[in-house]
Amino acid sequence: MFAIYKKELQSFFKTPFAYIITALFLFLFTLSFNRGISDINSAKMQFTYSDIFATNLFYFAFIVPVLTMRCFPDERKFGTEVLIMTSPVNVFQFVTAKFLAIVTVFLFMMTASLIYPIITEVYGTVVVPALISVYIGFFLWGVMCIAIGMFCASFSENSIIAAVIGEAAMLLLTFINYFVTSEYFSAHPKLQSFAMMFAAEDKFNYFAQGIIRFSDVIFFITVIIVFVAWTVISLEARRWKKG
Amino acid sequence: MITVEHLTKYYGRHLAVNDISFTINDNEILGFLGPNGAGKSTTMNMITGYLPMTKGTVNICGEDISKNPVKAKKNIGYLPEIPPVYPDMKVNEYLKFCAELKKIPVSQRKEQIESATERLKLQDVSKRLIKNLSKGYKQRVGFAQALLGNPKFLILDEPTVGLDPEQVAEVRNIIRDLKKDHSVIFSSHILSEVSAVCDRVVIINKGEIKAIDTIENLEKQVNQSPVINLKAKTSAYTADIIIGAVDGVEKILEKSESDGIASVRFSVSGKDVSEVQNSVISALVSKNIQIIETYTEKPDLEEVFVKLVNQPTKRNTLKEMVEEMQAKTPEPENSDKNKEDN
Repeated sequence: MFAIYKKELQSFFKTPFAYIITALFLFLFTLSFNRGISDINSAKMQFTYSDIFATNLFYFAFIVPVLTMRCFPDERKFGTEVLIMTSPVNVFQFVTAKFLAIVTVFLFMMTASLIYPIITEVYGTVVVPALISVYIGFFLWGVMCIAIGMFCASFSENSIIAAVIGEAAMLLLTFINYFVTSEYFSAHPKLQSFAMMFAAEDKFNYFAQGIIRFSDVIFFITVIIVFVAWTVISLEARRWKKG
Repeated sequence: MITVEHLTKYYGRHLAVNDISFTINDNEILGFLGPNGAGKSTTMNMITGYLPMTKGTVNICGEDISKNPVKAKKNIGYLPEIPPVYPDMKVNEYLKFCAELKKIPVSQRKEQIESATERLKLQDVSKRLIKNLSKGYKQRVGFAQALLGNPKFLILDEPTVGLDPEQVAEVRNIIRDLKKDHSVIFSSHILSEVSAVCDRVVIINKGEIKAIDTIENLEKQVNQSPVINLKAKTSAYTADIIIGAVDGVEKILEKSESDGIASVRFSVSGKDVSEVQNSVISALVSKNIQIIETYTEKPDLEEVFVKLVNQPTKRNTLKEMVEEMQAKTPEPENSDKNKEDN
């Protein structure tokens, strides 16, 4: 399993892939960071990272699928899936190794984004506990997106299709709380409360406000586990179905 | 030893492999022969545990591939039809990754990678990116990967497709060389290739085994009398009369004459071929006729192959189909399982 993890990391870091995606992420971060600063007026000399991160959640729907789209379709394209499936490794280890590698790239991106709080600290003051809280929320959100993106890639033969399906799924997840408050859902309170359970952004907002709720952490971890498990099942199911 | 029993595979409703059973002994080269789409790759994919089977078992050195895949797979090196290489890796990086993937102890890794590199003559390209290599080299890199971990059984799916003649000869030599400490199963749709290296051959078509035997026995299966060719300094007419009178000569098949040399082709009935050949020679010599050359024709293997492949399948007639269905009905368990898999 460690071999696959290492190989995946190499494929990200020995090619420009990880650096380009991190650069794109930082560029988008800079845009919202700049806006945060320019919105400062004399009455309120502060801006919050929560707002910046909340904007980034939206960008995430586009960045994460790019990270995850290659993971299984490429193995199929090169025929290397056969190599891994005929080695003494099981599907669970295969999926976990890939998942951890992408999470590592994501951690790299998050570490790079620490430059903004550092700059802020140089010219002002950073509320550290709030920052930690929002980073935890951001991390959980990102890992959840990775799990969903991997699942979308697991049943796709083509990496572009995997990315598009992943983007659709993540956009749905990001905007579900807007759909839920629509008139149709309000007319069906049971459906509304059911759909509300999946409104991940509301849960992220607690982190953004500096409140770490146990139930929210459990929510994210559950979604992550469910999607990683589905990825394993989906790969196994493909083996049974196709030739 | 690998034991394959009643292996069956359905792709949806399409029956790709139908109830095949055979064994692979230690230190043996087994050829897997069949036309394109016969089910060779599917069978190999099932033996190596890449595809699950609809029915049947594959037992590798006492480990069932579906029940104990991790242990069973340690005894197998597999080179699929498309070499499973990562284009963005260098050859040595790739082999190192495969060695780790196959859980080769750290102390043996370097040595094994070196010996595989040497065996397939990859030293010159070991620091090049795989995507820049030619098809032949990619194939060799895939082959080297299969050798890592010193597996008892090497399963090679059409290892010589797309190689130039020199490389084909090299691959054959490697396969022969591997016989010392491995068993090799390799598939091909080219008969001459299989007959050149294999101890035994499994002939498969439309998912069914048509024959499992040694090459010699397969040759014997052709129901045709051995044929002798002979050239002698005489007229075709004289040669015909003398040869036709020899005991054991069945029929003169062809005769011709050019520049005072007669060429005769005749079949031999039942008896020992070389004995008949000797009596023909002595008959001619006793008449002071000079013999220029004589040789026995080997039965045409291609003919054997075509004949075996075109044997009727198990369910060729409607009657047989009905009989088979009736035979199946008392086993509700199996039919349910099939439905599920479909």
